[in-house]
Amino acid sequence: MTGDLQIIEGCARHNSKAQKLLYDKYSRFLLGICMRYASDKSEAEDILQETFLKIFFSIGDYSGTGSFTGWLRRVAVNTAITHYHKNLKHRYHMDIDEYVSAEAGSSGFEEDFYTADELYNILNGLPDGYRMVFNLYAVEGYRHKEIAGFLKIDTSTSKSQYSRARALIREKLAILRKLKDSYTDNG
Amino acid sequence: MKENREDINIRNLFRQKLENAEIVPDASVRNQLMRKLGRREFLRFNPGRFNVYYLGTIVTAALVTALIINAGSGGDRDREIAPPLPAERIIPDVTLNLTGAEKSQATGETGEKVSQEGISGIYADSSRDIRQLSRNNITPVTDPVVTEQAKITRYEAPLSVPGGKIVADTDRAGSNLQIINIPGKALFVPTVTSGCIPLKVQFRNYSASSASPRWSFGDGGYSGERDPEWIYDIEGEYKVTLNIVYEDGRKELSSAIINAYPKPVAHFEIIQGDPANPDHEVRFINYSINAVKYFWEFGDGQTSEVFEPYHKYARPGNYNIKLTVYSESGCQDSQTVINAFSGSGSFIEFPNAFIPNSGGPTGGHYSYTSDLTASVFHPVFSEVTEYQLRIFSKRGILIYESNDINIGWDGYLNGQLCEPGVYIWKVRGRFRNGESFTRLGDLTLLRNQ
Repeated sequence: MTGDLQIIEGCARHNSKAQKLLYDKYSRFLLGICMRYASDKSEAEDILQETFLKIFFSIGDYSGTGSFTGWLRRVAVNTAITHYHKNLKHRYHMDIDEYVSAEAGSSGFEEDFYTADELYNILNGLPDGYRMVFNLYAVEGYRHKEIAGFLKIDTSTSKSQYSRARALIREKLAILRKLKDSYTDNG
Repeated sequence: MKENREDINIRNLFRQKLENAEIVPDASVRNQLMRKLGRREFLRFNPGRFNVYYLGTIVTAALVTALIINAGSGGDRDREIAPPLPAERIIPDVTLNLTGAEKSQATGETGEKVSQEGISGIYADSSRDIRQLSRNNITPVTDPVVTEQAKITRYEAPLSVPGGKIVADTDRAGSNLQIINIPGKALFVPTVTSGCIPLKVQFRNYSASSASPRWSFGDGGYSGERDPEWIYDIEGEYKVTLNIVYEDGRKELSSAIINAYPKPVAHFEIIQGDPANPDHEVRFINYSINAVKYFWEFGDGQTSEVFEPYHKYARPGNYNIKLTVYSESGCQDSQTVINAFSGSGSFIEFPNAFIPNSGGPTGGHYSYTSDLTASVFHPVFSEVTEYQLRIFSKRGILIYESNDINIGWDGYLNGQLCEPGVYIWKVRGRFRNGESFTRLGDLTLLRNQ
């Protein structure tokens, strides 16, 4: 197995074999990130392609000291942010079904109760702005001030969008829980 | 705090599950990416890959440059073909024998004969016509010099126009074709050429008054009126044609395009949280169709352009909420909900029947599940601060009393289920806004079968 270092060097020389190796090694990991920022898989794959193009053309910027996956993650997140800005004006539509309200369910969210697919689904169904803020804050761990800078919004907007996103997610988790409970009850 | 704990829970949930989650991309993504990459790599200047493509590019560039320089010193012939013809222009296969003999005579006859469909578009610029003809290997006998003002070209011509509709002038000896084009002057003018449905268009007819017009509105509608008015109810692009037949048999035809844009539909729903909580926000759910821009007026002077806004009212009250939506083509629609919170801001309502639990007293605590069986008699309410409910038998004996709005009557008196039948309730109290209320009504106690 070729090591990361050789792949990186190969990519820096624009060696197409190294580029393919890099893709094969990291595409699944990066698509996992892109998927959180997209409304469906095809959009996530678009972001993934852009991410790889950026990686291939700016791999020289990678200093070689930090974690390579960390660097890849940052490129993917930045690409997702650029993608969000680019598509901002096209995105007003939203599934009405997503807005069925439900009482907030129990507060404990055991990790094993929900699958990654279900969580992706919830993120995909969020309004774009909410999804951006939630991902950047909750998963990536950025601060609201930083997020405000990325998305060109107010810090307070980032905070309020985050809390609304959280409320929506809570609702959806509650619905999901009810659904799953009813399945286990009946089956 | 509960909020913080939940927040951490959710964050942990998503972070642990998704931070390093992997998804397998479609196989096509890889190929697509490699193609894109190949294109970008090719465009990236790389002296290390100086190859036949670069060489080819340079040779092509040199050739083009040489050609341009050569063309600059060329003769008149080159200049004639220099301005390119518009690509979509339809060139009918017209075979003409041209004589310029009558060209001077033609000047000044503007308006006497007007070209037929298919021709007016082609001969938009008569100087271009000649070029076109010469491209079709038809050489004018004499150079037809056409005055730019009149834009009339007269050709004496045996005609053969496959698919075209050139009408020969049979009045004169020989076959004369007169092509007249008056730029910007059509036979009729619509008041509007585009707009939102229902789109009302008034057509003004500029033909001679003796003519009988035949209108076709493009949506299957016809008219013989002189200046008709037409309403387009369905969105679309319509070609309106006016066919004029003069008394002397001459015909004219003119057309125009009308664009009827779809109208958006504004529709929304108001979701109130808990109105009793002074911090609660009202949520708006947007069901609008065909819209790209939204404008909300919340009735308290505040506005928003968010698709689905949240709004916090400083004080409870009745507000008129208006949503105006705009489509891509600028059409608009609006919906107003008048006194949006009148039904929910401050109210108290009682049912008129209930079915007590036959298994024993429940204490009158009610919930969503007890409401499914209607086992507790209680009001639905909002913004109530003071409350006293009393229930009397038909003879006027007080059976039940509650000062807690969250406790209703379970149908029992001293542990005994009351008889089925009609009872009287009376409620007194006060809303949060200070308004007091007194209501009176009857209720029927039903037995569970």
